[in-house]
Amino acid sequence: MTEPPKYVYNLLSRLCPDYLWEGIAGDLEEQFVDDVDRYGTKKARRNYFWNALRFLRPGILLRNNLKLNTNNTIMVSNYLKTARRNMVKRKLFTFINAFGLSIGLAFSILIYLFIKDENSFDLFHVNGDRIYRIEEFAYKAWNPDPNDPYMQSAYMQLGLAPVLKDELGEVEYATRFNEGYSKVIKIGEKVVGEDVGYADNDFFKMFSFEVISGNSDQFLTQKHHAVINEEIANKYFEADPIGQTIQIDIEGEKEFEVVGVIQNAPANSSLNYNILIPQENKSRYQQSMENWGNFSTPTFVQLRSGSDFEQFKINLQGIRDKYMEESMKRTQARYNIPENVIQFEYRTTNLKDIHLNHKVDWYKVSDPQYSIILGGLAILIICIASINYVSLALTTSALRKTEVGVRKSIGANRSQLIYQFSFESIILAFASMLLGILFMLICLPTFNEFTNKAIELNAVLIIELIGIGSIISLVIGIIAGSYPSLFLSSFNPALALKGGSSTKLKASVAKPLVLLQFTLSSILIISAFVMYEQMNYVTTKDLGFDKEQVLVVPTQMGWDSESDQAVERMRNALIADTDIISVAGVSNSFTQGWSRYGYTIDDDNKSAYVWSVDPYYLEALGIEIKEGRNFNSAIVSDTASLIINEALAKDMGWDSPLDEHLNWREDSVGPGYKIIGVVKDYHFRSLERSIEPMFLSIDRKEVGHLTDILIKLKSDDMSQSLSKIESTYREMVPDKPFEYSFLDQDVDAQYASFQRWMKIMTLATFFAILISGLGLFGLAGINAVNRTKEIGIRKVFGAPIINIFILLNRQFVTLALISFAFAAPLASYFMNNWWLSDFEFRVEMNWQLYVITFFLGLSIAILTVTYHGVKAAYSSPSKTLKYE
Amino acid sequence: MGSIYLGEFEELILTMVGVLKEEAYGNAIVNEVKSQLDRKVNLSAVHVTLYRLEDKGLVKSFMGGATNERGGRRKRYFEVTSAGIKVLQSIQQQRMKLWKLIPELKAIGL
Repeated sequence: MTEPPKYVYNLLSRLCPDYLWEGIAGDLEEQFVDDVDRYGTKKARRNYFWNALRFLRPGILLRNNLKLNTNNTIMVSNYLKTARRNMVKRKLFTFINAFGLSIGLAFSILIYLFIKDENSFDLFHVNGDRIYRIEEFAYKAWNPDPNDPYMQSAYMQLGLAPVLKDELGEVEYATRFNEGYSKVIKIGEKVVGEDVGYADNDFFKMFSFEVISGNSDQFLTQKHHAVINEEIANKYFEADPIGQTIQIDIEGEKEFEVVGVIQNAPANSSLNYNILIPQENKSRYQQSMENWGNFSTPTFVQLRSGSDFEQFKINLQGIRDKYMEESMKRTQARYNIPENVIQFEYRTTNLKDIHLNHKVDWYKVSDPQYSIILGGLAILIICIASINYVSLALTTSALRKTEVGVRKSIGANRSQLIYQFSFESIILAFASMLLGILFMLICLPTFNEFTNKAIELNAVLIIELIGIGSIISLVIGIIAGSYPSLFLSSFNPALALKGGSSTKLKASVAKPLVLLQFTLSSILIISAFVMYEQMNYVTTKDLGFDKEQVLVVPTQMGWDSESDQAVERMRNALIADTDIISVAGVSNSFTQGWSRYGYTIDDDNKSAYVWSVDPYYLEALGIEIKEGRNFNSAIVSDTASLIINEALAKDMGWDSPLDEHLNWREDSVGPGYKIIGVVKDYHFRSLERSIEPMFLSIDRKEVGHLTDILIKLKSDDMSQSLSKIESTYREMVPDKPFEYSFLDQDVDAQYASFQRWMKIMTLATFFAILISGLGLFGLAGINAVNRTKEIGIRKVFGAPIINIFILLNRQFVTLALISFAFAAPLASYFMNNWWLSDFEFRVEMNWQLYVITFFLGLSIAILTVTYHGVKAAYSSPSKTLKYE
Repeated sequence: MGSIYLGEFEELILTMVGVLKEEAYGNAIVNEVKSQLDRKVNLSAVHVTLYRLEDKGLVKSFMGGATNERGGRRKRYFEVTSAGIKVLQSIQQQRMKLWKLIPELKAIGL
C-alpha cells in the first residue's frame, strides 16, 4: 500500500489551520511519494509520520489560535459581561452550583491534609529506618480464641533492652521508653501534676529530638537525672533550668536534677514526653529486671548500619529461647498448646510504621483503614460534586437557547460558543475553588478537633493546595463547560429563535448518578446512625457498677502509706455529710491505668488484673457481691484475703471459690490468699474487651497503696458538695494540687477515638447529603423543565396540583428506594466488619434502624425536589403552553 | 528596512525562494537545499519559516493550479517581495563591508 498513515493525517488536518492545510498536506504527500520511490513504503510511512508530527509546532498551531484569538479577545469582555449577568440573574443556581463544588473541594482537601499528616508520622528521625520497636507476639493460651489466636503488644520485659544491647551484635543502641503517667512534682514553690516518663540514655542517641541545652551523652546516666521538654522549661523555670532540682513523687518524694532540655515532640511523633527520668526509678526495678514474665516496658533498638535485619530477627528468637524457654514449656504443657502454633515470638515494627500499625496498641496509633476509607470517600465526593456541577450547568444553560440563537445568527461560529460556555464554567469553577479553600480554612480548627490532630497550614502547603485545586477546577470547568456548550451550540438558530423548541434535556447520565449519590449518602447515614447507637450503648450500658455521681480525687501522694492515711482522713471528715454517700480508696481509678499480675500456679502461667481497695469500694461503686462477703477492716486476716470476680473463678475452674486459696504471690509456704468473696463481673476496662480475671485486695504491702479517692455523691447539690470536698482536701493535704474528675466522664473518655470517628463520619455524612441533595436538585430541575408543557396540558385538563406534585416526585421516591436497597446490605457489612468489630460488646443492627434511616433519607430527597415540584405545579398553563 | 534582521535559516529560505523563482514551494525548497547545499532540512521547519517570512512581508504566497501528483492538492507558491529583495541586498552589502575588514582575508587577496 502506498498510503500515508491515516491517523496522523487526520490529526494534523484537525489541528492545522485551514488556510494552510492544503499546501502542507500536498507537500507532505509529495515527499511521501518521493520517499516511496527512494526508500520503499515502510520507511516512507515512518518518515511521513514523523514529518507530519513535526508540523505540530507552535509556529503552525498558534496560527490557528491567532485567527480565533483576534475574534475572541474582542469578545472576551462581552463573555465576561454575559457571564456576570447570567450569574446574577440566576443567583440561586449559580450559588448552588459553586457551593456544591466548593463543599466537595473543601472536604477533599481536608481529607488530603489528614492523609498527608497520617503518613508523616515519625519521618523526621534521621536513623528512623534502622530503629525498630520490639513486640510481643503470643498465643492467647489462657483464653484461646480461634478467630484471633494471637495477641500483639509493644510492652516488653524490663530486662530485654539491656540484654539485646549486650548480647546481639546487630544492636547499636537500645532504649526502654514509657510515656508515663501524671505525677505530682514540685518545682521550687510550685506543686503541679505532670506526666513523667521513663527512658534510657540511648533514647537521645537514637531519636532525632533536638537537644536545646545540656550534654545528651550524659542524659539519664545517673538515677537522679531528669530531662524536660521546652514546654516544661518555659512553664516552670524562669532562668536556665539546667542544674535545677525538681521533686517528683514516686513512692515518696525524690529529688531529680534537670540535666537537659529537648524540643517538644512534634504533633506527628509517636513518642511523646514532658519529663523523662531513668528507668531505674520504676518501682520494684530490680525484681522486675529478673522477671521475664512481666511485660511492662516498650523497647526500641537501633541496628548498626549495614547489619543483617533477617539475622537480627533470628537472633531475637535466640534471646527468647535463652531466657524464656522453661516457662514457655510449662505453659505449653499446662494449656496443651498445639505444637504447630507459635507460642511466643519477638517481632519488630520499624519506627516509621508504628503509627499505622494498629494491631499493636500505642499512644497515638491509628488504623490505615481510616485513611483508605476517607480517601475513597473524598474521591467519591469530589467526583459526585463535579458531575453535579455538570448536570446543574446543563439545567441552567438550557434556559439560554435564545441567546445562543441570537449569537449564532449574528455570526458566532460553533467554536466560539463552546469557548464562551467553557469560559464561563471555568470562571465559576475557579471561584468555587477559592470558596472551597476558604471553607477548608474555616473548617480546619473543627476538623483538627474532630480528628485530634494539629494540622497547620504553611505557605508551601497553601500553594500546593491552590495548585492542586486549580488543576481540579480547570478540569472540572472544561468538562462541565464542554457538554452544555456542545449541546447548546448545536441548536439550529432559526428554531431556537422561533421558540418552537421541543428539545428535551438529556438526563440519561444524571439518573444513575443520583442513584450512586443516594446509595453513598444512605450508607453514610446508616453508618453514622449505627455509630451513634453504639456510642449511646456504651455510655448507657449497665457496666456492673454505678458510675454516676462518683467523684474521683487523686490523693497526689504517690505510692505511699501516707496516701492510705489521707484516704482515711478524708473519709472521716466527709462521711458525716449527708450529701456524701460513700468515700472509698482504690489503687487506680477506672481508666487511669491498671495493673495485671502474672503468676504460676501448678506450673501454669496465669494472670489477673489487681486492684488495691478498701472495704468501702464495693459500696461506693455499687458492685454486687455474688457469694461470700466484703472485706472487713476489723478482721485482721482479711489482708491475706481476696475478692475475685466470676471470670477468675471460671479461669481457675473453681466450683466453690469460697473454699479456695489463690497463691498469686507464689509463696512456697502456705496455700496463698483466701477467697472471701466473689463479685459479679463488672467492666473494669472498656467494652472493647471481654471481662477478664480480676481480684481485689486490701493488702497494702503486697498489692499497693490507695492513690485515688472515690466519693459517691447524692445528686442534689453538686457544686456545694464539690466545694466542701475541695476545702476538706486542702485541709488534709495542704501541699498538693486538688484535681478531680467524674467517673462517668472518665469511663466515657475511653471511647474518645470512637467518638472521634463518629464525628468524622457525621461530618462526611453531612457533606454527602448536601452534595447529593444538590445533585438531586439539578435532576429535579431538568425533569421539571422537560415536562413544562406536559404539566401545562395536564392542568388544562383539570389535574389538581397535588397530582402533578406526585407525578413529578414519584421517580425520586423510586430512586431512593432502589438506592436504599443497595445501601443497606453494604452499610451493614461495612459496619459489622469494621467499626463494630472493635467492640466485644456491641449493638445489633436491627430493622428499626433501617426504617428510620430510610425515612430520613427519603424526606431529605423529597424536601430537595419540592422546590421544582411546587414551582412547576403552580406555573400557569397559559404561560407554559404559549411557547408552541 | 534597517530594523529587519534575519536568522541564518530564515536567510537561507528567503534566498532559496529567490533561487527557485516561480517554482518556490515547501517541498521544492527542501529538495533544492538538499541538492545545492547537501543539507537536510525538515519540511515543517521550512513551512514555519516561510509563514514567518510572510508575516514579515518578505515573501508573499499564492495558491497554484490543481495538480495530479499530490492528491489533486494545489501548491502554495512563494515569491520574494521587493521588501524581501531589499533585505537580501542589504544583507549582502553588510556582509561584503565586514568581509573587507578581515585582514587575513585581505592578505590572501580576495
